[in-house]
Amino acid sequence: MTRRLVRRAAHGLALLAGVSLLSFVLVELAPGDFFGEMRLDPRMSEATVRLLRERHGLDRPLHERYLRWAGSLLRGELGFSFAYGQPVAPLVWPRARNTLVLTATATALAWSVAVPLGVWWAARRRRAAGHALSALTALLLALPDLVLAFALLLLAVRTGWFPAGGMVSLGHEGMTAAGRLGDVLWHLALPATALVLGVLPVLLRHVRAAVAATLHEPFVLAARAHGVPEGRLLFRHVLPAAANPLVSLFGLSLAGLLSMSLLVEVVMSWPGLGPLMLEAILARDLHLVLGPVLASTLFLVCGNLLADVLLVAADPRIRAEEG
Amino acid sequence: MSRRRAGRVALAVLGAVHLAALGAGFLAPYAPLEQNRMLPYAPPTPLRFVDADGGFHLRPFVYALSEDALDEGRYEEDRGRAVPVRFLVHGAPYSIAGLTARVHLFGVEEPAGLFLLGTDGVGRDQLSRLLHGARLSLAAGLLATLLSLGLGWLLGTLAGFYGGWLDAIVMRGAELFLALPWLYLLFAVRAALPLHVSAAQAFLMVVLVIGLVDWARPARLVRGLVLSARERNYVLAARGFGASDLYLIRRHIAPQTVSLVLTQAALLVPQYILAEVTLSFLGLGVSEPAPSLGNMLAALQQYHVLVSYWWMWVPGLALVPVFLAYFALSQALPARGEPA
Amino acid sequence: MEAEGPLLRVRGLTKRYARRRGAEPVEALRGVDLTIARGGALALVGQSGSGKSTLARCLARLEEPSAGEVWFEGVDLLALRGRSLRPFRARLQLVLQDSAAALDPRLTAADIVGEPLEVAGRGGRRERRRRALELMESVGIPSAWSARRPRELSGGQRQRLALARALALEPRLLILDEAFTGLDASVQAQIACLLEDLRARHGLTFLYISHDLALVAALADEAAVLYEGRIVEQGTPFRLFAEARHPHTRALAAAATFLPAATEAWP
Repeated sequence: MTRRLVRRAAHGLALLAGVSLLSFVLVELAPGDFFGEMRLDPRMSEATVRLLRERHGLDRPLHERYLRWAGSLLRGELGFSFAYGQPVAPLVWPRARNTLVLTATATALAWSVAVPLGVWWAARRRRAAGHALSALTALLLALPDLVLAFALLLLAVRTGWFPAGGMVSLGHEGMTAAGRLGDVLWHLALPATALVLGVLPVLLRHVRAAVAATLHEPFVLAARAHGVPEGRLLFRHVLPAAANPLVSLFGLSLAGLLSMSLLVEVVMSWPGLGPLMLEAILARDLHLVLGPVLASTLFLVCGNLLADVLLVAADPRIRAEEG
Repeated sequence: MSRRRAGRVALAVLGAVHLAALGAGFLAPYAPLEQNRMLPYAPPTPLRFVDADGGFHLRPFVYALSEDALDEGRYEEDRGRAVPVRFLVHGAPYSIAGLTARVHLFGVEEPAGLFLLGTDGVGRDQLSRLLHGARLSLAAGLLATLLSLGLGWLLGTLAGFYGGWLDAIVMRGAELFLALPWLYLLFAVRAALPLHVSAAQAFLMVVLVIGLVDWARPARLVRGLVLSARERNYVLAARGFGASDLYLIRRHIAPQTVSLVLTQAALLVPQYILAEVTLSFLGLGVSEPAPSLGNMLAALQQYHVLVSYWWMWVPGLALVPVFLAYFALSQALPARGEPA
Repeated sequence: MEAEGPLLRVRGLTKRYARRRGAEPVEALRGVDLTIARGGALALVGQSGSGKSTLARCLARLEEPSAGEVWFEGVDLLALRGRSLRPFRARLQLVLQDSAAALDPRLTAADIVGEPLEVAGRGGRRERRRRALELMESVGIPSAWSARRPRELSGGQRQRLALARALALEPRLLILDEAFTGLDASVQAQIACLLEDLRARHGLTFLYISHDLALVAALADEAAVLYEGRIVEQGTPFRLFAEARHPHTRALAAAATFLPAATEAWP
């Protein structure tokens, strides 16, 4: 078991290295750079621009730039932001934390709704309720996340029940600990709802499919014949057997924690990685663009690793295979 | 409604939508870039059949709009003159299939305006922009899907069929691309390209970026299919007759991948349309003044637009039936591997 | 090319499969020696895992042997590759076991039978179709069924179709890998008669591969027992039954089924 984990971890590290190279090359492939925009400004002289480029090492060959950046990665700085004039890492981590607060809450909520609802849906004998849910999820699936986010924003603005953006209110610092928590939760409500409604249809359908497939297994029929009550049957017997594909899906959910909320963050002014990355792209601050990409990949690799661990722990068949 | 039937309805809906998008120049009463600075954020022009004196007209008509002198932002109609809607009118030029034409399906005479979906901040007709923008966004989705599936199919088939080092390279590459969060990779690649480009260049860029980033998922699926197909006895038998690799792929293996590719297409097109819309919304795709469903929605970021002008939501809502149709289509197609 | 001499001569054929992580390679075939005379019929019998199918595939060059020699009509078969191998592929045909998997479910019967002709580029479309229908008739499938798909045919009919396909290129040697498995007794008898008929009519040489000694005993002049990649005993089928020396042969003889009609021909 540990040997498998170690192998996977090494594999993950290799993947990270490969990804860093790939994304660096892709992003650096561009003609022009951060200072190219400056050239358009008539007040900046050609010499100044050249000096700035030299100072930041932008005139060096590609492999040298990559190595310098990779070195910066390993030191934990994640490169240097031209726009902010400081290392990227201190800019990225607080934002990443904010994004995680949002996405972790939303993911936990989505899964805790999707699993019981999906099980119930799969077990529905009467057609009507199932069809209604089917139609509802299809509609949600077809609704673009952008429109959903705006709709929620409109709700906030019209009713005033929720703030129309941001993570904290003015005067947040002066509140008690409980007050601060409540303030964040209040701001969290709408963005989290937008995310939950966005992923729920997909999750629901997967849970339902997995459970529905298991319901046809002979052991379920046998359990029913033995008189096991429906609720217990569903959650103690069927669900664990159906868990395999769901665990992989959960791993994927974890993997996407840093990247799933970009649009919602931008629309609802949540101070996460999304708006930072957008800003960096518009400013062509390339290292700042790459920072979140790498952080996201790190999450993806860890998420997959965790999913692997969970899979082995949850499915005794795989454990037996390993010997 | 059975799946098959729903699929056919979906196909009809998509056909109609795409036809409308193709005929955007003809169907749209105005040019998408045409501004009417006197009529910003005008609400949709109501079509009337009964005039102020109670007379009934068979042909619909409109009243000219003008800004209320006392209450800026509100409009009042000039009830004195009923301006009829004419069909097959002469209007702004547009190109269709390489030729320039000037005939539009319907329109009204100046100074009245026929803004069936209202106007935006600089008085541009939203319906016209919607049609042109839809054409762009839908085309981007289709072309990007073609690219992504084409590349994915090719690499997946080669990897699955030949195995060995080719398979290893393709699969490692796929893993690399899959490890990057799709949207972030999209942005990173977009960041690599010049920021200010013409609409046509931006369109091409968006298509290329989306298509090239996402080849890995279809490639893996195709590869799996090809791997199992390769081992079938009839493939071995054909090899026994001396069949070449190309023959085997063409005759026996490729036909098996068709249903998988079609299902993937039905799933990917809406995703790619959404990707283009997202990019354009954020200012990274097709930018003003060329219309894209994405940059049209960007107006909603302004408070007063979000709250007061409901017609500005239409570009987003218009996508819902399209996505529903693609979804129904993906459900109607046979699962992979099954015979048609 | 020799006009006389055996049709097929196999010397020391060995096939090794490498395994992962430096484990010992698996030896599917260990120095197999075989000879089949022109117009003769050899039965190769063994359990599953004895290497029978591997041997068949090596002979048909669907897999490459690790060592050994194969002489077909006096020509060193293993020395040929690509272009030069092509004409010999036609002369040595393999009918794989499990006819259902051996026929592409998307093609019609006529397409399947005509495929070898298409691959070899012989004749135009019409000529190929004519020949395909001819071949179908020769194995007892009505040409009216030319548009049927494999799933619309019974096991026995599919087997006949596979045979018709194998005959398309007019082979000299026909290798049949488990041709009777999965068919019920009466169908097996029919196929057996068909094979005898083909042998008489076309002067074909046969290599029958099976796990069931009795099934192929009636059709073969000689039989060889394959055990763990080696030939352990050889002789006429009758002798192998009556005077089996190797313990494995005795086991096979005991497990055999019987074709009542065929055994009547025995001395």
